[in-house]
Amino acid sequence: MVSSINPSLKMFTVLIPGIVLGLTYDVFTPLVYLMFILVVTFTMTTIPLLRWLKFFSPFLLIAAGFAWMTMLYTNQAFSGGEVIFRLWMLEVTTGSLQTGLSVGFRSLCFGALSLMFILTTDSTKLMLSLMQQCKLPPKLTYGILAGYRFLPIFRHELKILQQAHRIRGVARARGIKGRVNQFQRYAIPLLANGIRKAERVAIAMESKGFTGDPDRTHYHKMIVGKRDWLFFTLMIGALITVFVLSYHLGYLEIFGRSFG
Amino acid sequence: MTKQWKLKEIVLMSVLGVVFGVIYLLFFLVGEGLRNILVPFGLAPLGYEVIYGVWFIVSIMAAYILRKPGAAFTAEFIAGVVEVLLGTAAGPGLLLSAAIQGAGAELVFAITKWKDYRLRILILAGVSTAIISFAWHLYFAGMIALAPWLLASALSVRIISAALISGVFGKWLSDQLAKTGVLRGYALGKELQRKQKHDTA
Repeated sequence: MVSSINPSLKMFTVLIPGIVLGLTYDVFTPLVYLMFILVVTFTMTTIPLLRWLKFFSPFLLIAAGFAWMTMLYTNQAFSGGEVIFRLWMLEVTTGSLQTGLSVGFRSLCFGALSLMFILTTDSTKLMLSLMQQCKLPPKLTYGILAGYRFLPIFRHELKILQQAHRIRGVARARGIKGRVNQFQRYAIPLLANGIRKAERVAIAMESKGFTGDPDRTHYHKMIVGKRDWLFFTLMIGALITVFVLSYHLGYLEIFGRSFG
Repeated sequence: MTKQWKLKEIVLMSVLGVVFGVIYLLFFLVGEGLRNILVPFGLAPLGYEVIYGVWFIVSIMAAYILRKPGAAFTAEFIAGVVEVLLGTAAGPGLLLSAAIQGAGAELVFAITKWKDYRLRILILAGVSTAIISFAWHLYFAGMIALAPWLLASALSVRIISAALISGVFGKWLSDQLAKTGVLRGYALGKELQRKQKHDTA
């Protein structure tokens, strides 16, 4: 199961394909890898389909927008081939269609990969693992976690601010100037309170003996085991396989130059 | 690496990351609206360029408030981690772009040897962040395949957004915060106090 994979290693497993896929400008490579990611997502995780779709649909919109833009406004290095159709003054060629689709599928790959990470990773475990595997200093990781825990408090404080304003008869703002004023009325107190809390929490942590010394013990030990490396090999191996396959079939294209 | 940081400074950067992470998500709706207007022209993704400055504001505010080498980079990186913790759908890829953006802002502060925090330097830091993050997007998002005029206009929108939102607005917000007195324990607040003492004396 993906949710039990070591978070740091999972992070790198998700990042590497994202970076490497940036090289490709053919349709085949990102499309096949996308299908692989989907298979992994639906066989090796327990994310409910509806929940996944809810998160994935914005990516679909963004990817479609990006593909459409790339297709209409491809530069000359990528827009070879015959003209398929014209739109106003713009010509869409086979080259630009291919580039557009490729860029779209690529961003869907990023989306699917990061969803696989986000929906299966516990934030505290991620920080613990970043500290134990990636050797991030405890001062940094616990500092980040302390700040992150303020999120629900912010929401609560925003509500209090709104109620306080209402009870004193501050009307809802109208017009741009009013909006700016309103923003100032909310943003400054919220941030000021946040900073005050940050200071207090830091002092509390230090007074209870938190020194930020990297040489410390951990209650929750995060380890990288055989299963974690297996997952890494699976994801990266599939990426390499897709590239090799695409090369052999003659589809592979890197920065508008085809190989194979 | 963390010797130079006090714990309260790290928590402060993290809190800034949380606040602006949420604000960015709110602004995302603005980008979404612009996007819808631009859809028929096939320029939809450019809608987000306008709000890009919100992304960079954390590093510039942190550098301006804390005034230490590495503040811009560390703050942006921390903001990236916080975003991932919040479960932002963009996921771990954010860490990479955060590091690249942080480096872009840090570069400008490094050139001034972390001594100059006037408005023009903050704006310059925003602009540098915009340019460096744009170079990264050329590769990562495949924008390199776009027509040159489109790239040029996207870049200029991003630069203006970064200069205004993160440079000008970031400074204004930090100054307002310093006036409330909560920054007394940090470099910006100390400087303000010194100035006020000087004025009254």
